[in-house]
Amino acid sequence: MVSKRFVLKRLLLLVPVLFGVATLVFAILHLSPGDPAKVIAGQRASQAQVEAVRQDLGLTRPIWVQYLDFLTDVLVLNLGESYIVQRGVPVLTVLRARLPVTLELAIFGQLIGILVGIPLGVISAVKQDTATDHFARVGALTGISMPIYWSGPLLILLFAQFLGVLPASGRIGSAFDVPVYTGLITLDSFVYGLTTGGWDAFASAASHMLLPAAVIGIYGTALISRMMRSSMLEVIRQDYMRTARAKGQGAKITVMKHGFQNALIPVITVIGIQFGTLLGGAVLTETVFGIGGIGTLLVQAIEVGDYPLVQGTVLVFAFLFTLVNLGVDLTYSYLDPRIDQ
Amino acid sequence: MSVETESAERTTQRGFLARLRASPFLSDLLSNRLAVAGIALILGMVAIALYARLGAVFGIAPDLAALKQTKIGTNPSLAGPSLAHPFGTDLQARDIFARSLYGAWIAMKFGTITVGISTVAGVGLGIIAAYYGDITDNVIMRTMDVLLAFPSLLLALALVAIFPDELGLWRAVTALTLVYTPRFARVVRGAALKVLEDEYIDATVALGAADPRVLVRHVMPNCLAPITVQSTLNFGLAIIDLAALSFLGFGAGAGTPSWGLMLANGVDQGLLTGEWWWSFFPGLMLAITVLGFNLLGDGMRDALDPRMREAVD
Repeated sequence: MVSKRFVLKRLLLLVPVLFGVATLVFAILHLSPGDPAKVIAGQRASQAQVEAVRQDLGLTRPIWVQYLDFLTDVLVLNLGESYIVQRGVPVLTVLRARLPVTLELAIFGQLIGILVGIPLGVISAVKQDTATDHFARVGALTGISMPIYWSGPLLILLFAQFLGVLPASGRIGSAFDVPVYTGLITLDSFVYGLTTGGWDAFASAASHMLLPAAVIGIYGTALISRMMRSSMLEVIRQDYMRTARAKGQGAKITVMKHGFQNALIPVITVIGIQFGTLLGGAVLTETVFGIGGIGTLLVQAIEVGDYPLVQGTVLVFAFLFTLVNLGVDLTYSYLDPRIDQ
Repeated sequence: MSVETESAERTTQRGFLARLRASPFLSDLLSNRLAVAGIALILGMVAIALYARLGAVFGIAPDLAALKQTKIGTNPSLAGPSLAHPFGTDLQARDIFARSLYGAWIAMKFGTITVGISTVAGVGLGIIAAYYGDITDNVIMRTMDVLLAFPSLLLALALVAIFPDELGLWRAVTALTLVYTPRFARVVRGAALKVLEDEYIDATVALGAADPRVLVRHVMPNCLAPITVQSTLNFGLAIIDLAALSFLGFGAGAGTPSWGLMLANGVDQGLLTGEWWWSFFPGLMLAITVLGFNLLGDGMRDALDPRMREAVD
């Protein structure tokens, strides 16, 4: 069981980190060379107009007032409005529309990583130092050595260009107009299929998801199988494994029942930590496959100097990442109660 | 007396080399075929990088200006791989082979700088945090926690936005240095805390050694193993991340023969029109380099981990 004290302690530790995150984001944006007032007022604005905008944005106030203001805004989740990308729309609204796109990509990628990586790692460990093991290990190392912006284009070349079986970019065929329920296109088109009986939209969405998810999945598979292998190897050598075998339990059952369950604990940490890498990977994947998620949004916002949007996106990403890490810590201590002592 | 001290010192020096040679670490590492393959790949890439850079100085290989030049003489534009152009040519009729070779120099140079600075900074911060503890430790490590709270590529992207475009790859280097330093600090602090528990540290302090001497002469050398592994693994990551920033348009300036930028151009303009070589070969060079560092880093980690040494019965 996770003790209440442990949960409370972890939550309290979160406060200074989140405070630091907000401070850093504020600092980054205020060190940026661009002048937000000029950006908003536009190229042809007169000096007076720019000054008026500056006054309007509160940029003439002392920096510490702006900082305190920013912190209270973050506390009440007021992230301001986008300057350029979607002018006048609250940053939170923009993010809410784009977030499911990125999450969907990350979830499917993670799923592939878990479903392929865990069995691969177990097999590798059980057959340590055989040809199978070597093949799996080199494969995994190759997987993490291939940058997403290379493996992505390679898959596009193979499946979209040469074989022509899968689409190269986008989320769904342009002919389909699926109503948005969750923002997750595969789920939405699935619901659409259920309600109307037209499954073409779902097929299209799924085929669009395959390549980008595979690209993220390759990376996940590599990381998870490596961790699973070494964790499994460690567990296999434990005394209780020998005891179980000595008591006459079969090799397979021992590995699966005593070995696998215990070996899974550190792997869960990797899966959690990987989520951050995945979010970073989503930026690149979205760029390669032309998917309009948070990643492409951030790149666009940086390019045009849409500061509130950059600020909001980075903040939301960092908060998400921190929350996932918290979840991982709590799961970990639940699985291994020695942790919280 | 002085003769004795001298000979004792010599023994420790000889002892160090002998220890290194006899250490299970090195023999373990060199008996690991994958790690040796990694070393070979890295050395190969270093040789290519040096050839491209020094060749440019001595006139054997094209220099940076020639590689950036658009529309070179009679070269065909967008020609596939051939004997004259093993990796084909790009839209500006530049030889992708020569550019890819120079890309090795760029990757190695900026990778070394990024990893070098973050190692030095991280080691310094980590050791100081471990040694002084208390407030110093808290201030340093909580700051590191904040930096670690961001997904790394996103923090790098946000930081890159601070610097003007003209800085090119240098802004990517600066951003990534800030992103990597906390990783080193955390690992080194952990290792240093373990070393500080040892009695010889107490003995050194009791003998009156000043703090810097204790840290540099005694704590740091004993943390060398985890530092080396961390540097090797992060070298591969640094090369990927530097190229990623260039790929997204926040790194190398237009025309620079960096792998990331070549990939970006090849993917943007050549992928759906069939000029696969444009992005394929720079990416291949990048992946091979990173694979080399990952193979070596992985082998080092196994060699350092005594649990991996004994075979399963």
